[in-house]
Amino acid sequence: MNRLLVTLALVGSAGAVMAAAPPANHRNFVACPIVRDTSTVPCWLAEYEGETYYLTIQTDVSAPVNPPWLGHKVLVEGTISDEPRICGGIVLKPVALSVMQELDGSCNTMLPAEERYNLPFEPPRPPGPSKGRLAFGDPVTQPKSEQLETSKSFELRYEFDSLVMFRHAQPLQQIFEYARQSNATRVQITGYRAASLLSNGQLMQEDKQIGRRRAEQVAELLRGAGLTEAQYEVKWQDEAQRAKGVADAAMRRVQVVVSR
Amino acid sequence: MLKAAVKFAIGIGAGLLASAVSAAPTGDRVAGHVPKQNQQARQAPIGDSKSPPANRWWSPGEGTPLAPLVPYPDSFGQVGVLNAAGAIETRGHPFFEPIGTNGRACVSCHQPANAMSLSVEMIQRRWHETQGKDPIFAPIDGMNCPDLPPGDPKSHSLLLERGLFRIFLPWPPKAADGSSIDPEFTIEVVRDPTGCNLHPKYGLKSANPMVSVYRRPRVAANTKYFTHNGFGVFSFIGKNGLPATRDPETGLPSSMNILSDARQPTLKTQAVEAAITHLQFDGKLDEERLARIVAFESQLYTAQVSHNVAGSLIEADAPPGLGVYNLAKGREGLLGNNVTNFVFPMSEAWQKPAPSSDPEIQRRNEMRASIARGHDVFMFRTFWIKDAMHLNTVGLGNPTKRTCSTCHGMHMMGMDIVNGWMDLGTTNLPWAREEPLNPWNERKPQMPLFKITCKAGVPPHPFLGRVFYTQDPGRGLISGKCNDVGAIVMQQFRGLAARAPYFSNGSAGSLRELVDFYDRRFNIGYTDQERDDLINFLSAL
Ligand code: HEC
Ligand code: HEC
Repeated sequence: MNRLLVTLALVGSAGAVMAAAPPANHRNFVACPIVRDTSTVPCWLAEYEGETYYLTIQTDVSAPVNPPWLGHKVLVEGTISDEPRICGGIVLKPVALSVMQELDGSCNTMLPAEERYNLPFEPPRPPGPSKGRLAFGDPVTQPKSEQLETSKSFELRYEFDSLVMFRHAQPLQQIFEYARQSNATRVQITGYRAASLLSNGQLMQEDKQIGRRRAEQVAELLRGAGLTEAQYEVKWQDEAQRAKGVADAAMRRVQVVVSR
Repeated sequence: MLKAAVKFAIGIGAGLLASAVSAAPTGDRVAGHVPKQNQQARQAPIGDSKSPPANRWWSPGEGTPLAPLVPYPDSFGQVGVLNAAGAIETRGHPFFEPIGTNGRACVSCHQPANAMSLSVEMIQRRWHETQGKDPIFAPIDGMNCPDLPPGDPKSHSLLLERGLFRIFLPWPPKAADGSSIDPEFTIEVVRDPTGCNLHPKYGLKSANPMVSVYRRPRVAANTKYFTHNGFGVFSFIGKNGLPATRDPETGLPSSMNILSDARQPTLKTQAVEAAITHLQFDGKLDEERLARIVAFESQLYTAQVSHNVAGSLIEADAPPGLGVYNLAKGREGLLGNNVTNFVFPMSEAWQKPAPSSDPEIQRRNEMRASIARGHDVFMFRTFWIKDAMHLNTVGLGNPTKRTCSTCHGMHMMGMDIVNGWMDLGTTNLPWAREEPLNPWNERKPQMPLFKITCKAGVPPHPFLGRVFYTQDPGRGLISGKCNDVGAIVMQQFRGLAARAPYFSNGSAGSLRELVDFYDRRFNIGYTDQERDDLINFLSAL
C-alpha cells in the first residue's frame, strides 16, 4: 500500500475561527430529537433556543435524510426554509442529521398524534408495507454501461465523526462496479476531517484521526470486496478550519478517484 | 495471533474457479473458523450410539425412499415435505447416511417430520425411546459440554429442555482466509452453567480457544429463498456497508442468510462445516457428496399442508402464500413487504368466506378468516420498533412505526430479504429470557452469559452502550463488530407448527410465547383477538 501523508492543509490559520457565525437563516445545533406521532408516519423534530424545528419524517431506507435516534443526541445542520410549518416545526431544508455516538438516555420524548399536527401531505411511504416501490427509488442502482472514461471521481459523505454505514453500501457498490468494468489500475482515496460551525459560534470538530480512518476504511472495504488488483493511494486531509456554518456537512467526505 | 495453518488431509481441491473478483485461490481450504472447529471435533469423545427406527423418525442409514410428498402430523395439523425432483433414494445418500464418526446423519437433526428442523418434543421422545443413546445426544454438541457423564439428562439439559445444540466457534474470530480478526470487543464469561466456556480443553482459555453458544437447528429446505441473489444482494452489505462474504468458487457475494450468524456463504460451505462439527467427519467432504447434499436441499420444500380446523392448505384454491406447492412455484429474491407481492399472499376466498349452513364448513371458514386476519396483523398492525440494531439503524429512525413485515419482508419466507441479522433482543440482555432468581425458585440459569465490552476507539453499541451482557453474541462472534453482538439472522417462517421451540436460543416455547415476547419487547398491546389471529396465521405457514 502506498500511503502518502498529506501535511495539514490549513486554509485560513487559527484565530479566525470563533469570530465567525453561521448566516442567520441557518440552524446548526446539537439537541435531543423528538418524535411526534401522526395519523400516518411519525415526524422528527428538535428544539433550539425555545423554537421547534421540523427535521424529517419516517420513510424508508432510500430516503436522502434519515430520521435520528431516540437515546442519542443529534447534530442538526439546516437551512430555514419558507415552507409552512410541519408537525408544528419550522422546516429546515436542506438538512443534514448526524446521530451522536454516545448514548443519552434523556433523549426520550415521544409525543402523541394531534389533529393539528397531522402531515399536510401524503408521505411517500406509509408506516407499513409499501405500494410496491421504495419511497425514493431503488437503494442501489446498477451503473449504466455508458462509455467509460479513463478516470472517474466519487464522493462518500459521512455523518459527524462516523465511518461507513448502511447508506454507503450503494456508493461503494458503484465505485466497485466502475473499477471492475473499467479494469481500473489505480484507486486514489482521500479522507477528510471536517468541523461544523454551530449557531452558537462554537466550532465542533471531528475526531483528529477521522480523515485517516475514513480513507483507510474505504480502501480496506474495496479490497475486502475483491478489488485487489488495483494500486491504492490512500491519503487524508484536515479541513476542520474551513467550516463556515453553511453546508459544513458536505466537507465530511471521502473522495475516490478510480483510473485505468 | 498466528495464522491458522491447519490443513485438511482429506478433500479434493474445490476447483480453482476463482474469477477476477475472488480474493485468493481457495484450493481445498475451508472457511477460516472451520479448521479450529475440526480440531475440537476430533478431541471430543464419541459414544457407541445407535439410532433405531421409530415412527416418524428418520434414522441415519435406514434406507427407506423418501416419497415425493410426505405429510407428518404436528400440533396444528400436518406439515409436508415435498421433493420437487421426485422420490429420493436415501440409501447411500450423504444427507441420510451416517457419513461421519458418531453415527449421525444430516437427517438426524433435520427431520422431515419437523419441517427439516428438530422439535424439542421429538428430542425428548428420542431420549426416552433410546435411553439417551441416539446419536443426536453425541457429546460433541448434543451435550452441554463434551466431557459430562453421558446418559444423564443433566448433561443434555439444553438439548432436552430447549432443543439446543452446542455451536463452538473460535475466538478471536477467523476471516475467510484463516487469519485472525482483531475484534472490537472483549468477551468475558460471567456465567458458565454448562462448564464449556471455561473448560480447560473446550473453552475460551484452552489451547484452541472456543466460545460455546447453544442454538436451534434451522430448516434445511426452501433453500432457494434464503440463498437467493436477487433483491439487495451486492458486494457490500446493505446494513452496514461492509463487504459481503462471497462464494469461494464464483467470487459472487452471498445473501448472508444461512445460519444464525451468516458464517457460511453457501449451502456447500455450510455442509462442509456441518459434517465436521455435527457428524465429526474428519476433513473436508468430497465434491461428489457435497453436490448431492446441496442438490437434495435445493429441491426440498416444506410447509404446513393441512390445518386442524382450516383444512387443506394445498388444495387448488388455497391462498397463494400457503402450502408446499405454492412454495415450490414461488419466486425467490423478492421483497414482499408491499401490497404488490406480499410476504405470504392470502386470498379473497379466505378473507371473506361465504357463510355456510353446514357447521363443519362454517367452523373451517371462521378459522380461515382468522388466519387471513392474522396475516393482516402481521402486515399492517403497526407498533413502535425500538432499539433494534440493524433495523432502527438502517434509515428508519429509532423508534420506527412499522409492522412485523418490516423486518420479515422476504416473499414466502418472512426472513429479511437482505443480509438478515438484527438484534431483536432474544439473546442480549435486558430482553433475553432469563431465569427469575429468588429464594423460591430452585431452577438455575441454564444459558451461558457473556460480558461484552466494546473497546475504546470504537463507538459504543448504539442501544446497549459500551458494556452489556449476552447469552449468544450471534453475528458478533464472526465479524468481531461490537454492534453485531446479539444480532441473529432471522430464520424462515415455514413449518413453524412442527418445530417448537422458537428463536435461535429456543427461548419461546410456543407460538404464543413468541407473540408474547414481541408484545413485551415492543409494547404492542395486542388484543386477545389479534393475538389469536396472529398465532393461527403463523401455525398455517
Ligand atoms: C447435531 C444436529 C445437526 C446435524 C447432525 C446437522 N445439523 Fe444442520 N443445523 C444444526 C444447527 C444447530 C443449525 C443452526 C446453527 C446456527 O445457527 O449456528 C443447523 C443449520 C443448518 C442449515 C442452515 C439452515 C438455515 O436456514 O440457516 C443447513 C442448510 C443445515 N444445517 C444443513 C445440514 C447438513 C447438510 C448437515 C449434514 C452434513 C447437517 N445440517 C447436520 C444442527 C445439525
Ligand atoms: C426488529 C425486527 C423484527 C420485528 C419488528 C419482528 N421480528 Fe420476528 N424476528 C426478528 C429476528 C432478528 C428474529 C430471529 C431471532 C432469533 O432467532 O433469535 C425473528 C424471528 C421470528 C420468528 C422465527 C422463529 C423461529 O424460531 O423460526 C418468527 C415466527 C417471528 N420472528 C415472528 C414475528 C412476528 C409475528 C412479528 C410481529 C409481532 C415479528 N416477528 C416482528 C426480527 C423482528
